[in-house]
Amino acid sequence: MNGNGSADINITSKRTRTLVLTGLLFAVAIVVALLEGMLPPIPVPVPGVKVGLSNIVVMYTVFFLGAKQAYGISVLKALFVLITRGAIAGALSLAGGVLSITVMLIVIGFSKNKASYAMTSISGAISHNIGQFIVISLIYTGTNMWFYLPLLVIAGVVTGLLTAGILKVILPAVNKLVK
Amino acid sequence: MKFIKRTDFIIIAVILLASIVSIGVYTLVTKDSPVYAEIYLESELMMTIDLSEGIDRHFSLEERPAVIFHQTVDGTIRFEESDCPDKVCINAGALSIPGQFAACLPNGVILKIVSKDVDADSPDMVIGN
Repeated sequence: MNGNGSADINITSKRTRTLVLTGLLFAVAIVVALLEGMLPPIPVPVPGVKVGLSNIVVMYTVFFLGAKQAYGISVLKALFVLITRGAIAGALSLAGGVLSITVMLIVIGFSKNKASYAMTSISGAISHNIGQFIVISLIYTGTNMWFYLPLLVIAGVVTGLLTAGILKVILPAVNKLVK
Repeated sequence: MKFIKRTDFIIIAVILLASIVSIGVYTLVTKDSPVYAEIYLESELMMTIDLSEGIDRHFSLEERPAVIFHQTVDGTIRFEESDCPDKVCINAGALSIPGQFAACLPNGVILKIVSKDVDADSPDMVIGN
């Protein structure tokens, strides 16, 4: 990689690579989220349902970089949302992101890495929705969320499959860039 | 790591089935209860509307004239128009089942369907404060 074979430099260079990659992925996550915001909203009768394309980036990070980096991207993205779209949107982003990463890590850990991309993605998407909904029901106390819970689960299945599919398609290209 | 496994399809089918069944059960259980719409502005209850009135009208809050609600004869209510950029509130469609809600966060307006027994002490419509 760097030709001199020194272990010290190798470790430093690996850490630098991870750092740079995490930064890049964070930038990509923000751009993807912004682009998605420009698309016309999906006409479904559930407030605020989105495909959550930036979850593709988060998923990639969980799979190939690590938990720390994934949480980092998620928290930074929530901060970005907080600055650009306000406190409520920021809280939603944070709750959804953190819960979804946690659940994906649990799924990967419990299945000893045997869970498929699709299943991991679906569990992440469902928990993302549920995390956001917990925040909504906390903010608007007394909101009865039972009507929406099954709809959010269904939406999670659909968007989870979609993001896993997109990740599958772009993965070879990404790996070529990163290696 | 595989993209999808055969067992995944079973898990997905079970999840979808459970969700659809619970929607059905919920709709049946709440079917006969009295239904009201509550409109909140910045977390403050501004209006309570009896959806069984059976009237068709358009109205808006005094404080937010650009946000127009549409109440229909068959007991639904929806955001008809709004000056917000994302139109999430309008996309939420017509609401009629207790627990449904639509929010226009840029305007701070929340529309909520509730089911409650008629309270003799409270007026059935409160406008402003």
